[in-house]
Amino acid sequence: MTDRPDGADQAPDHDVPIPYRERISTYYQTLGYGAPYRWAHYAEVPFTPLKKPLAKSRIGLVTTAAPYQPDKGDQGPGAAYNGAAKFYKVYSGDIATDHDLRISHIGYDRAHTTATDSNSWFPLPLLREVAKSGRFGELSPRFHGAPTNRSQRVTLEQDCPELYARLAEDKVDAAVLVAV
Amino acid sequence: MCHQTVSLAARYLEEQGIPTVIMGCAKDIVEYAGVPRFLFSDFPLGNPTGRPHDPESQAITLELALRVLETAPGPRTTMQNPLIWSDNPDWKLDFSNVARLSPEEIARRRAEFDRNKELARGVREQSQAAK
Repeated sequence: MTDRPDGADQAPDHDVPIPYRERISTYYQTLGYGAPYRWAHYAEVPFTPLKKPLAKSRIGLVTTAAPYQPDKGDQGPGAAYNGAAKFYKVYSGDIATDHDLRISHIGYDRAHTTATDSNSWFPLPLLREVAKSGRFGELSPRFHGAPTNRSQRVTLEQDCPELYARLAEDKVDAAVLVAV
Repeated sequence: MCHQTVSLAARYLEEQGIPTVIMGCAKDIVEYAGVPRFLFSDFPLGNPTGRPHDPESQAITLELALRVLETAPGPRTTMQNPLIWSDNPDWKLDFSNVARLSPEEIARRRAEFDRNKELARGVREQSQAAK
């Protein structure tokens, strides 16, 4: 017997971060897709401290969102999953201009959100404002788009080095990576 | 795959000497990969930088990410955004939850998944041919 005082301050049992790996594995196995996906899993985690205060740092932005391509079908808001809208190479964009980035190529939660406000996944306009406030030194002149690939090898051997090369060229002091 | 991609990228960048912070909504995927700094928002996938049409929540979320970036004492630092999606947590039961799908719905999704895989393969082959 557990001696838990079940008052209104206790959270419901299912009010926990969604166990996505388990959900997704069960989902695809039920749909008939062979061996379960093996997610990236490392014991060792690298860590680089900031070299200077944030107020003097140049910040880079990395996103997994995709530029809107009018010839690639419905990309939302509210579009069904659209594999045609995926991209397979790192891309970069000028932070001084506005960009129409979409997430229809991603398995986001279509039951509970409809992708009507890109500020909930692409914080470029807000980052520009915050940079002006002096909270950090400056925004790097380019943001970068990271392709989402089922193959960890492709991500590690092709996309990560390319992202690093571009961020190094931009001389960023730190990077904000947004996973849609 | 987004959360995994970004986790692998954060790890790579840190190994090369660039500090990172991840903003995301899939806690288990990111922590399983193992990353330096992570601001976790307990929102439906698709809202890593705040609630839609809620600039205040977006500002709070970004500020928290910046604080995690500047104050994390070491790797595997996760902070959970105190903002919540809804007073009712039932939305968490739905995502890819086969226990909540009818056999007809499972069959329909299987067909849709096949179709999308074909489409993605077409784009990939075109992209590779263009190299």
